[in-house]
Amino acid sequence: MADKPKLAMYWAASCGGCEIAVVNLHEKILDLDAAFDFFFCPCLLDTKISTIEALPDQEIAVTFFNGAIRTAENEEMARLLRRKSRLLIAFGTCATEGSIPGLANLSTREELLRTVYLDNPTIDNPEGILPLPSSEVAGGTLQLPVFYDRVLPLKQVVTVDYFIPGCPPEAHQIWNVVAAVAAGQPLPPPGSTLGAGQLSVCHECSRRKGEKKIARFYRTSEITPEPDICLLEQGLLCMGIATRDGCGAPCPQANMPCSGCYGPPAGVADQGAAMIAALGSILDPGDCRGKSEAEIAGQLAALLDTIPDYAGTFYKYSLAGSILGGRVKS
Amino acid sequence: MKTAVYFCTCGTNISDRIDAEEVKQALKSAGEDCSFTVGPFLCSEEGQEFLQEDLARLKPERVVIAACSPREHETTFQGVMAEAGLNPYLFQMVNIREHIAWVTADKEQAVHKTILALNTALKRVVLHQPLERLTLEISPAVLVIGAGPAGLKAATALAEAGREVILVEKSPVIGGLPVLCEDLFPELECGSCLLEPVMGDILHGRHAEKIELLTMAELQEVTGFIGNFTVTIRQRPRYVDPHRCIGCGECFEPCPISGPNPFNGGLDDKKAIAFPFFGGLPSVPYIDPDLCLRFTEGSACRLCSDACPMGADIIDHNHQEQIISRQVGAIVLAIGASLYDCRQFANLGYGRLPEVRTALEFERMLAANGPTGGDIVTTKGEPPGSVAFIHCVGSLDDQHQPYCSGICCQLAFKFNHLLAEKLPEAEVHHLFREVVCPGKEGLALYQAARHNPQSFFHRYEQLPDLAVNTGENGRQMVSMLGKEAITADLVVLCPAVIPAADTLKLGTALDLGLDRFGFFDAEHSRLDPARSKLRGIYLAGTCQSPADIRDSVNQGMAASGYILSELVSGQKISLDPLFASVQADKCSGCRICNGVCPYRAISFDAEKGVSEINPHLCRGCGTCAAACPMGAIAANHFSKEMIMAEIEGVLK
Repeated sequence: MADKPKLAMYWAASCGGCEIAVVNLHEKILDLDAAFDFFFCPCLLDTKISTIEALPDQEIAVTFFNGAIRTAENEEMARLLRRKSRLLIAFGTCATEGSIPGLANLSTREELLRTVYLDNPTIDNPEGILPLPSSEVAGGTLQLPVFYDRVLPLKQVVTVDYFIPGCPPEAHQIWNVVAAVAAGQPLPPPGSTLGAGQLSVCHECSRRKGEKKIARFYRTSEITPEPDICLLEQGLLCMGIATRDGCGAPCPQANMPCSGCYGPPAGVADQGAAMIAALGSILDPGDCRGKSEAEIAGQLAALLDTIPDYAGTFYKYSLAGSILGGRVKS
Repeated sequence: MKTAVYFCTCGTNISDRIDAEEVKQALKSAGEDCSFTVGPFLCSEEGQEFLQEDLARLKPERVVIAACSPREHETTFQGVMAEAGLNPYLFQMVNIREHIAWVTADKEQAVHKTILALNTALKRVVLHQPLERLTLEISPAVLVIGAGPAGLKAATALAEAGREVILVEKSPVIGGLPVLCEDLFPELECGSCLLEPVMGDILHGRHAEKIELLTMAELQEVTGFIGNFTVTIRQRPRYVDPHRCIGCGECFEPCPISGPNPFNGGLDDKKAIAFPFFGGLPSVPYIDPDLCLRFTEGSACRLCSDACPMGADIIDHNHQEQIISRQVGAIVLAIGASLYDCRQFANLGYGRLPEVRTALEFERMLAANGPTGGDIVTTKGEPPGSVAFIHCVGSLDDQHQPYCSGICCQLAFKFNHLLAEKLPEAEVHHLFREVVCPGKEGLALYQAARHNPQSFFHRYEQLPDLAVNTGENGRQMVSMLGKEAITADLVVLCPAVIPAADTLKLGTALDLGLDRFGFFDAEHSRLDPARSKLRGIYLAGTCQSPADIRDSVNQGMAASGYILSELVSGQKISLDPLFASVQADKCSGCRICNGVCPYRAISFDAEKGVSEINPHLCRGCGTCAAACPMGAIAANHFSKEMIMAEIEGVLK
């Protein structure tokens, strides 16, 4: 056991789906266990932080770090694991782009705390108590990690060697990476994305693509799409055109539009901006000939009204890692 | 990388505001690796000579010239670079005259701006790639669609220049709208006489063998690009051999069936085999299969054929539709316009009241070869005692066509003049929203109408203020809001000139943009009205905008001028290399870009699953590069890296 390379997996601001994705390796998890000393994973194992702290630096061969950086504790663990790991891999889109937790960047810290601890209808908090980094109680001082103003992707806190996107990463892609690392295969230059493709989801989606003109959008509950035709052409807001491939396009094949979980494609800095620029080129507000500016604006507004939630659609997984990173106070 | 910066003082235009020495020092202290040379007039002959020698001596890897607008002298300096043996695209021009010197009063600020502008250029120019112009073989033949005044002029001009021309006309006759008119404004020439020499040239002139005239034909499909179009034309059968028929008309009389003549606005009937009207060219009748009993009833009637003195096989009911394919280098669209449907205005009575006519129907009534032989009569066959012309029907109206068609007033005042000649006793009423008679000859007919003692002018606010109804005496009552009603025996509506129905169809087939009124969109409505946004496709006449004959023939000539200068027979065309291209290994085949190109340069290779850009069609506008969600499209000279470098430079 001692001569097996150490594998760690940690969760910061995340949901636990990444761990489930690892369990989804099914029987291959035994192969993983055979190749690595899978010794740290708070979701599955009871290793203590002190054990990690006691390790020599770079003792861990690979750390899969999932989750975004939301609190001081997330950052502290990121720094600790960075120091102790030879390879630190941002695992899953929360770690690579901020993902769903990153949508909190549309609100201020105060707004978030007020909603969660004071305003929600199910809250019973008559004294209006909010979490504080440090509280005096009868038994002494209680400490909580500081809640940051913004959610950050892992690379903004520590140097990340590789990125495995996906919410969660697909099991077969996790296995590709695990197998490559276990076999000691040469890896691409540091900073590269592993376990994903170099193109967009369209590349893997077998639906027939044609020229696109979209007169209105539909929610998935509103229509039953044709089985073989590009979902975007049918008015479903499929993010596949602006999303990295590698997942195998399971969602569009199952009539569900891609929601963008593999993040921006290679070389694209801002997934939402790429999607908006592409949509801006194919939206069809109808016949505008001879119409006044106000009428044309009305037609456009009617078309845009069929998109329910701009930020939550175009930046669902990549807001924190995008160029703006979230709402910018004016 | 060795970059040479040249700073042109433009006399004192630039140096009055921008101190070159300060700029030089700032670049030096910023550690820029570049030479810096100041010149007084780099665009002058001496300036260019100096520049060429200096470049040949320095052999810089990149060149930046800070001077006037690139629109003014970019090509000048690129030419100098080429002469000096440098690739002219390893060059960036910075406009410090219009952008800075002329608009910045404060000298310190002007220097600061200049440094930032030079920064952007220095940052971007290192990323420039050497580019070569593209060359392309061409077919010199030209397809002209529409044989009205614009198309006829274009076709004859091109044929005279030695070009093969395929002239496609939808109707059985050529000449367009003017040949339906007995008298044309402003000088009251006869329409067919005016165009006769041009039409004669097309049919039998010295260059007629250069022109393949296809009547009753329409463009079906176009593929390819400038210099290399393949066009498919569908020609309906005429059932009469145009080459052997002498146009004697012996076949008409025996024909047992007739129906309304569309060329006379249905005011009279014509036989199933007939000319559209007498005097129409080519002088060959056609059979209307919607009338002829052989087609409507499957009868074995061959009375027309039996009557033909030229032979039994001249008329052949077995003719079939022809699909004709041709290679051409350019296409002239001269498909003309249409008139607004007067039925849209129930209050004006057109279609409901038999004495309400359109201007075109009235025009046919005035024509000697028209349904009444030139007599102005009501449906009872009597000369009208009073005629009312309603101007601006459907024009100057946001609910219909917002523009002024520019020709209807002169048309109506021409009618006034002809009425005064033919029926001097008749009252002539003009109901108008605005009177518009532009041009040096435009007012003559208006003034004549004003001097006609039988003329009456009534201004109305909007069409709904008018109502045309039949009075108790059987005459038409034209009532106007707040005014006394007019009695008229004949009411003539002057409708707006609107895009022909085929404009949209052809526009879609060619992917040619239409303007907000539905006319073909010109490359530039004032500078390049005869050129479409697609290379190799030109516009002439009223398909681009309402126009009179003079403007239409001018545009026909303009289109042929463009073709003769842009597609020189025997020469290859040389194209700017600033085109975009798809990086195939980054393309996912989502086809977002396929529909966005205004020049139809993008196609999809289904086998490879990637989109491709035809560099011969691309004009480097960058629309596709912006649309591509993969960032897989880059335009030469405008890559993302270059744009980012410029932004970085200006933010420094």
